[in-house]
Amino acid sequence: MATQSDTDQIQGFGQVSRTTGVIFRYLLMGATMFGIVTLAILLVYVANDAIQPLTADAGWYLVFFVTFVAPTTLVGAYLYRTNVDALKLGLLVVGMLAVTLMFSGGVAIVFVDIVPPLVSLSYAIGLLVPFAAVVLMTKYEDAIPFTARVAATGAIFFLSLFGIPGYYHSIPEMVQKIPVVPTEWVIITLVFGGVVAVVVGQYFARIRENTRAGVVAGVAALAATGAAAVSGMFTGVNPTALAVVAAGAFVPTAAYAGGAALTREEERIGLLLAAVVIGGSLVGAGIVDVLGFAGPQSWVDWQFLTSSHSGTAENAGLYPAIGGSILLMVTVAALSFPLGVGAAVYLEEYAPDNVFTRFIDVNISNLAGVPSVVYGLLGLGVFVTYLGQPTGTVLIGGATLALLILPIVIISSREAIRSVPQDMRQASYGMGATRWQTVKNVVLPEAFPGILTGTILALGRAIGETAPLIMIGAPNVLFNLPTELSSKVSAMPLQVYAWSSLFASEDFYTKAVPAGVVVLLAVLLAMNSVAIVLRNKFESES
Amino acid sequence: MSHKENTAEVESSNMTGTEDPTNDEMLVQTDVSDGLSASTSVSETTNAETIIRADDINVWYGDEQALQNISMEIPENSVTAMIGPSGCGKSTFLRCINRMNDLIDVARVEGELTLRGKNVYDDDVDPVALRRRVGMVFQKPNPFPKSIYENVVYGLKIQGIEGDYDEIVEESLKRAALWDEVKDRLHESGLDLSGGQQQRLCIARAIATDPEVLLMDEPASALDPVATSQIEDLVEELAEDYTVVIVTHNMQQAARISDKTAVFLTGGELVEFDDTQKIFENPESQRVEDYITGKFG
Ligand SMILES: Nc1ncnc2c1ncn2[C@@H]1O[C@H](COP(=O)(O)OP(=O)(O)OP(=O)(O)O)[C@@H](O)[C@H]1O
Ligand SMILES: [Mg+2]
Repeated sequence: MATQSDTDQIQGFGQVSRTTGVIFRYLLMGATMFGIVTLAILLVYVANDAIQPLTADAGWYLVFFVTFVAPTTLVGAYLYRTNVDALKLGLLVVGMLAVTLMFSGGVAIVFVDIVPPLVSLSYAIGLLVPFAAVVLMTKYEDAIPFTARVAATGAIFFLSLFGIPGYYHSIPEMVQKIPVVPTEWVIITLVFGGVVAVVVGQYFARIRENTRAGVVAGVAALAATGAAAVSGMFTGVNPTALAVVAAGAFVPTAAYAGGAALTREEERIGLLLAAVVIGGSLVGAGIVDVLGFAGPQSWVDWQFLTSSHSGTAENAGLYPAIGGSILLMVTVAALSFPLGVGAAVYLEEYAPDNVFTRFIDVNISNLAGVPSVVYGLLGLGVFVTYLGQPTGTVLIGGATLALLILPIVIISSREAIRSVPQDMRQASYGMGATRWQTVKNVVLPEAFPGILTGTILALGRAIGETAPLIMIGAPNVLFNLPTELSSKVSAMPLQVYAWSSLFASEDFYTKAVPAGVVVLLAVLLAMNSVAIVLRNKFESES
Repeated sequence: MSHKENTAEVESSNMTGTEDPTNDEMLVQTDVSDGLSASTSVSETTNAETIIRADDINVWYGDEQALQNISMEIPENSVTAMIGPSGCGKSTFLRCINRMNDLIDVARVEGELTLRGKNVYDDDVDPVALRRRVGMVFQKPNPFPKSIYENVVYGLKIQGIEGDYDEIVEESLKRAALWDEVKDRLHESGLDLSGGQQQRLCIARAIATDPEVLLMDEPASALDPVATSQIEDLVEELAEDYTVVIVTHNMQQAARISDKTAVFLTGGELVEFDDTQKIFENPESQRVEDYITGKFG
């Protein structure tokens, strides 16, 4: 009897606690899913508005199902069951093509409409010459005192970039004065394509352990870039842009895929997936074109990406905002990366542990949480009111956004620096290295992937910011790309904001705004995926 | 630049206070990037046996005292072993010799420690220059995440030592008894080696710059018996050209390879310092005998 009631009681208790546990578990799961599901619904909604998939012909769907969806699914499923590493390789190649296409598109915008190739080239040479001189100088670093080297470095860079007005031209000026100027696409093919070709050549020379293979690969890469540019002259597409995209996306992706095919025997079958995805979509597009099936009437189309704002939503585009965002990101990266990494190195490696550094510590964490509007106000106050700069320029916008993400860059760089094992530093100091030598040779190389990942994620935050740009007076509507640091700038989120506030109408709400959001999110996704790939690579190596 | 005459009385009865020729300039360096080459600075001391002399060294970590009035004299071209229970300050003492304690914020060192007659705690001594003359091998193997070759030449590069690097790498790896195992993969990562190989790589890295003194903090504690005996052989061999100071928890090891032994006991005091044979066969102090025979510690 006693035993009977005992087990009864135990069962009863067990039942009660189990119910609570189950309820609690599903509550937690609900909490987890709530945000994600809501966001997913919103994204589907926006994407539906922007791309309008239902407006396509049934024939269009049928063609792409046969040429693209079905083969991709079959190959993907087969690889998933037999060789997951190969599947990963295939996905990486497809992803690499997508991401490099997007970024080289951005670079093409820069060369075509912002900084002409000859000017970029002249500044590249203007920077390269003094850089080579400085590298040469470090060879004799024992012979020249440190302060003399610093002074010489400064002088060489200044002379090369600015010259002495009236007496001596700077290197960029001299380059731009060269009488026989090749056409733009030739410059791009030779310089940009040339650099890529050298890298590809070295890669193949290394994996084949054969210099000739490297030379062949390099020449092929250069020829491919040139061919792409020449094809532009016949098809009416801008040859400069084609050369950039070929050198920045097609050649590197092909080189990576080719290298994988040669070296990774186990996984090279995964390239089949890439071939099916790329081939399938090309073939599908060709068939659809021939048969005359209409695709979806997406608002995100070539016209949207390449034109500027217009009074009607159908004709409005994002081009000046895309260019503006690119310029802003370059400025932000150039400002926040050295400052942030420098501060992180100081705080982690040099600063003593005292009240002052702890005070700074706490404040950097606090600054990371300050609302972006406040940073906008800061930018306005410091740069415009106090320093008297014109409002809304690339420089001011970039500087304000750089301030905004500086704490994030510092925090993530410190994290990366702190994760370098103490053993490594001890080993270096024990060998008689100075602090700087230890930082340069041991700490920074080890921490670099982490620093880069953190910086890219921080840039992702900056590219989506609207409030600081409004505060510093960036114009809502811009019809031309900014071409200098002192030109007015717009940005993608700002343009979307303008469409939804200043030009608020049913049309803009349902056409231009979703399209802008989709482009912005695509860029963000690309940046984050680069950061994630970098981090995974870094983690699997160590 | 004043070298304080060393007249302080030494506690241990078995110490003979020999005066060695001063060699003040060697540690003093104003510009590190001049690249003081350790290999060029070996002095021709003929009469002096003592290379390192500790005189009344006290070390605190914050308020906690880790070493109390340590005095000892370490002879040149010999192996000196430091033994004692965990936490008694052996590593701390080792770090006093090359001033690695400077890197610990809370650490404070008092007293005098001379290397060839020059107090390394004088204001005009650059700890970086000191560490270029006193190499160190750590308890846990810590190769850099670089190739084997780059690991060995690291010290040469940062110290600005010139020469035939290939030759130095080969010679250092041979002396560290690692050459045969890695000669075909010098350009692979040092982290791909086994633990014992990594430790020998660290030893090769430390001797590549040809320091005068080699400090080893339990270099074999993480290794199997075979690797341990390889390292022991190596230490004995190194003692022909270097002064080796080695910390170990292994009594047999200390007895086998060292010429002198220092016994530290809990609380950071140096209880006995003498010839190894004497320590192990006929120690003066009862506590040392108890420790060595395993009765305590
Ligand atoms: N960085 C440090 N900060 C504070 N206290 C320390 C530090 N390093 C060592 N100590 C303290 O100093 C004392 C001596 O430590 P030390 O590392 O020199 O001992 P050890 O003899 O080498 O021990 P083991 O044989 O375990 O390595 C210990 O009480 C330890 O807690
Ligand atoms: Mg220790």
